[in-house]
Amino acid sequence: MSTPLSLQDLDLPRRNGELAFDAPWQSTVFALAAAVIEHAFGGDREPFRQQLIAAIAADPDRPYWESWTAALEVLAQTLPDQPRP
Amino acid sequence: MTAGGHHPAPVSPAEQRVAALEALLTERGLVPDGFIEEITRRYESEIGPMNGAKVVARAWTDPRYRQRLLADGTAAIGELGFGGPEGDHMVVVENTPRVHNVIVCTLCSCYPWPVLGLPPAWYKDPPYRARMVREPRKLLAEMGCQLPDDAEIRVWDSSAEVRYLVLPERPPGTEDMTEAELAGLVTRDSMIGVSRL
Repeated sequence: MSTPLSLQDLDLPRRNGELAFDAPWQSTVFALAAAVIEHAFGGDREPFRQQLIAAIAADPDRPYWESWTAALEVLAQTLPDQPRP
Repeated sequence: MTAGGHHPAPVSPAEQRVAALEALLTERGLVPDGFIEEITRRYESEIGPMNGAKVVARAWTDPRYRQRLLADGTAAIGELGFGGPEGDHMVVVENTPRVHNVIVCTLCSCYPWPVLGLPPAWYKDPPYRARMVREPRKLLAEMGCQLPDDAEIRVWDSSAEVRYLVLPERPPGTEDMTEAELAGLVTRDSMIGVSRL
């Protein structure tokens, strides 16, 4: 599966080179974004990236994975009606 | 896997929002069964501990490397390019048919990050930390690791000064595998010592 690797150039929080999750919901929302990128946008991560940039700009002090959640919430409202193959 | 006696924390607003997202996206058919678990597993269990797996596979295939690894873990691990502040003073302990090693940190959650990535949640839980010292055989069995009655269990308590890595036994029937293939067999849990390969 190439999906997780396709997220690599997003500026993800890492410790010691590894993705840093402090709670299960954080890895869940990470995986949900991977699912949307792969199954709704055919692997194109740019729509999500733009939402993430906007979410972080809107509230720079918000914890990272909460901004990630907010970005995905906005993106979920704009999804294409049918998943692309 | 849990170390037992672990109760879920109260559901936070963040958890509630993510659960709602998961329900919405699943309903839209965007989240295949098992997708989240697979992504999470890949990041937490495969990609993280891959450095340690390479160390183990090298030790299995190169007897001289194995000797160096057991004599001076930090230096031998450094040979493969892994090290850093959390990987100083690495001690590698070798499993045999008669001796099973397991690592714990009773005081906090010292963990050899450079070779194992992030510690799993249960490693940091008080029940794991307390019980692995008090009743290791019972806790290992609860975690799915059954040991022969005559096997000696050695529990290694990590500290800021010393970090341990378990060198698991090479599984039988792997004589024809390459070093890279062998590395793919090595799990995080086997290098903590809560499972056998």
